[in-house]
Formats: sequence, structure tokens, C-alpha cells
Amino acid sequence: MGRHRGRTHEASNSGVWEPVVTHQGEPSIASGEPYTAEAERTMTANRWIPWAFRIGSVGVVLLIWELYGRAQETTLFFVPVSSVIAALWEQVQTAEFWDAFRQTFIPFVWGWTLSLAVGIVAGLLIGRFSTFDALTKPYVTFLNALPVSTLVPIAVILFGIGYASRILVVFLFGVVEVTLNTAAGVRYVNKDLVEMGESFNASETRLFRKVILPASLPGIMAGVRIGTGRAVVGMVVVEILLVAVGMGRLILRYRGRFQSADLFAVVLALIIFGILLQVLARQVERRVSKWKYEMEQIA
Amino acid sequence: MIEIEGIGRRFNTRDGGSFEALKDVSFSVNDKEFFSIIGPSGCGKTTLLKMVAGLVKPTAGRIDIDGRTVIGPGDDRAMVFQQFVLLPWADILTNVGFGLELRGMSRKESRDAARPHLEQVGLTRFSEHYPHELSGGMQQRVGLARALAVGPDILLMDEPFGALDAQTRQLMQEDLMRLWEVEQKTVIFVTHSMDEAAYLSDRVLVMDTHPGRVREILDVPLPRPREEGVRRSPVFNELTSHMWRELRGMMGDPTAPAPE
Repeated sequence: MGRHRGRTHEASNSGVWEPVVTHQGEPSIASGEPYTAEAERTMTANRWIPWAFRIGSVGVVLLIWELYGRAQETTLFFVPVSSVIAALWEQVQTAEFWDAFRQTFIPFVWGWTLSLAVGIVAGLLIGRFSTFDALTKPYVTFLNALPVSTLVPIAVILFGIGYASRILVVFLFGVVEVTLNTAAGVRYVNKDLVEMGESFNASETRLFRKVILPASLPGIMAGVRIGTGRAVVGMVVVEILLVAVGMGRLILRYRGRFQSADLFAVVLALIIFGILLQVLARQVERRVSKWKYEMEQIA
Repeated sequence: MIEIEGIGRRFNTRDGGSFEALKDVSFSVNDKEFFSIIGPSGCGKTTLLKMVAGLVKPTAGRIDIDGRTVIGPGDDRAMVFQQFVLLPWADILTNVGFGLELRGMSRKESRDAARPHLEQVGLTRFSEHYPHELSGGMQQRVGLARALAVGPDILLMDEPFGALDAQTRQLMQEDLMRLWEVEQKTVIFVTHSMDEAAYLSDRVLVMDTHPGRVREILDVPLPRPREEGVRRSPVFNELTSHMWRELRGMMGDPTAPAPE
């Protein structure tokens, strides 16, 4: 089987004796620079500035939303953010909301897990073996080019409106990004690292497990994060487009009744769910590729 | 003994032609000899070293080590790289033991086995640090310790000090010299520094370019153990001036046809 060789990657450590600062702002042994309180203050301040901007930006939008909503003559279409939050608060106290959430959540977890498992394994094989890449390329290209939503009716015809079709759709939404990012992660592993492994007479299995796999973790984790976002989209799309169950059914019902505050509340709940998953994925990514972030700090 | 017999290497070019990187290269390296290869950029010296390592296959000729033809990497050889090539996600001790780990030892065993070699290069107190926290010179000591840890008969060094500043480079040369005098391994050392080649080696192979081939093999008649002072001896100067004359002759217009 042919193998992809990673691209040459210029090492960032050129051997020049430069002061190096680790991500905690500690002085490195290489530089021996004094650790000053002033430096620490600067770093702390810098870390808070983006957060201030983020919170400020959200605050301004919410304020405009609130004012615009209050200026409306009717609550049939657009409602202020305060009513949405109030509606959400009421909904989360009902059994109906949580039943809907469970109906949505269970197939999501199955489809999502499956997309990660299949995507990572397929990506590793595609990235490492050009034969496997050639075999799967038409399908990956096909899935990547096609709006996956168009497959929803087919999934429902084939598998009905039960869990199976919803699992399939969530899976299809997520799997492509996981596969492509994992494959890219493997393919662009520093070629020098692979050569080093080979020079020590490592078997293919050990080379893969001890060099290629850890070196591609950043790519794999990026795939997991992006794939997770896509899987959430799949979860909502299938319920709104065809199978009126779970959160999707709530959305359709509130829309039909012009209960805008409740409609917005369900959407808000889904946004919060999506953000929580993203935060989780990013935390795992950061932990797994800690070395990568530290390297980038000094690059 | 390493015998290199009639080695050639052709690469196919994009336009369908081929390019001859090495042509009819023959020489041999004795056991426990410090043998340097010097030549202008693009003369194929690194390719030649990688062939001895078993990473690149020759398109002509063969390489025998103690009578056995090289067909791939082997446990008798270990390589030290110009760009160090350490694992950025592993600490220094794991990096030093990594060659052993790649040959089947567990992480814990290899770390234990790595300790004396880390001490050999004077980095014991950095065992828990990560590569990016170390200077280039320190990183290359780790690279050297990793190669020594697998207990090779032959050490293959690919411009190991090429990425270091002049002062660090000189210190590393002296340290390597002392290590080699104790370890008594066969070393093939690729460099583009004439001082380095003269200071370290028993013999120096000067390579010609386009295609890469043997120009001459020089003996270095400097006594061992070598002190730093030999760099100022007349023999040393004579040797480096000779190398410079040779290399300079090859480094004229690179587009000019190669002299036959």
C-alpha cells in the first residue's frame, strides 16, 4: 500500500537563542528572563480585552433586540429578548419540554458518536494509505459537495420516521468534517518526525501509534469540534424538514400558533445546547493538543 | 566496516526527465572511525547518509555493513538530525528514550534506560521539560542522547550542528569529541563546515557536485585526544585551506556544465 508522506514542515525552533515565554507567562529556562509583576499585569489585561469585546458585542445586539421588540405593535412576529427568556424559563419547568428534548437528544447522541467513531477511523486510513484515499474519495467528495439536507427525504423513505433515520441524518451531517480533518491531520504530520521514526527501525504499527497518531491529534480534534457543530445542525434539520418530533415539533407548533416568544425560546435552547457542545469539544481539543498551543505561543 | 560500492541515485523530474544526484560513489569507513563528508550544497551528501541509514534506496550500487547489504533501517545504526526532530508533545526524558520505545520497550522502561544517556549530555535536570523550552544546543544534545540510548555501533549525523550559532556549535563539537573518545563508535558525519570536519575527523571525504561524486578522501594527521588548541596548528590550517580551495573550485557558476 502506498503511503502519504507528510509535507516538509520547517521547524519553528531554528536554534536561535530567543527568550521563550510559556503560555502561563512563566519565564522559560532557555531565556532565564526575570518574571516581573508588570509582565504579569500586562498579560492578564490582554487576556481580558477580547472577553470585554465579546460581552460588549453581545450586549449591544441584545439591547437593540429588546428595544426593537418593545417597539412592535404585536407579539405575533417579533418579541423582545426579555419575553423570550421568560418563555424559556417557563418551558424548562414543563415535562413537555424535557420529553421533546429527550426525543431529540437520544438519536443525536447515537448519530454524533457514530460520526466521530467512523470519521476518525476512516480519516486515519485515508490520511495514511493512498489506496484507501483513492477508494473512498468519490464518496467523500459526493458527501462534501451535496447539501446533506437533500438526503433527509431519502433517509425517511428508507428508514421511516423512527430513530434510525434521524441517527443516519445526524451521522451523515457530522461524518464528513470529522473524516476530512482527521485525514488532513494525518497527511500533514511533520515528515521529519516520520523519518526519525523510520530511522530508529520502528515497525509500521509502532510508527503509527507512537508518532503519527499523537502528531495528528490536533487535526483529529479540529474535526471533532467542527463535526459536532454539523451534527447539531443535522439534528434540527431532520426534525423540522420531515419528522415532526422532539424540539423540531415544538418549533413547528409554536410557529403555527404564532407563539413567537415560545418559538424563539426553543431556538434559544438549541443555541445554548450547541454552544455547550462546542465548549466541551474545544476543552477536549485544548487538553489533547496542549503542546500544539504552547508551540504556537512561541512560533 | 561500512563499504559503499558504486552508489548512484537518479531522481525523476517533473518534466519526465531524470536528474543524477549521485554517481559511482565508492569508499569505505573503518570500525570506530570518525568519518566526515563535506561538499557544496546539493552534492547529495545527506542523500548518501540516508542511504547508509536505510531510509533512501540507491538506484545503483550497494552498501554493505560488516558484509551484509543494507536493505533498510537497522538496530545497528542511529541517526542525529539537523533539525533535532524531537517529539514536541513529550518531555525530554521520554524523547531520549524514544528510540528504545520505537524498538518495542515500554514507556517506563525506556525512560529508565534513558537516564544515564541524559546525564551523558549533561541535561539531567531538564528531564521533565519540553523541547520548546530548551535552546537549540540543548535540543541537539537530546537528539544525540536519543541516538546513543539505542546503543548503536554506527552513529549517522546529518549536519547536526548546522542549525546552531557559532559559539554553541564549537562547544558541541568539543563535547561530541569527548563523548566519541569514550564511546568509540563509528561515526559518519555530514557537514558543510571545514573547521568542523578537520577538528572532529579521522578522514574527510570531499564531494564534488552535479552529479555528486567522490573528489578526494583526506587523512587528518592530528593527534588524539584533540584539544581545542589543534584548531590553531599549521596542520589544521593547511587542511582547511586545502578543503577551501577544493570547494571553492566547485562553487563557481552553478549553471556551468560540470567538469568531467
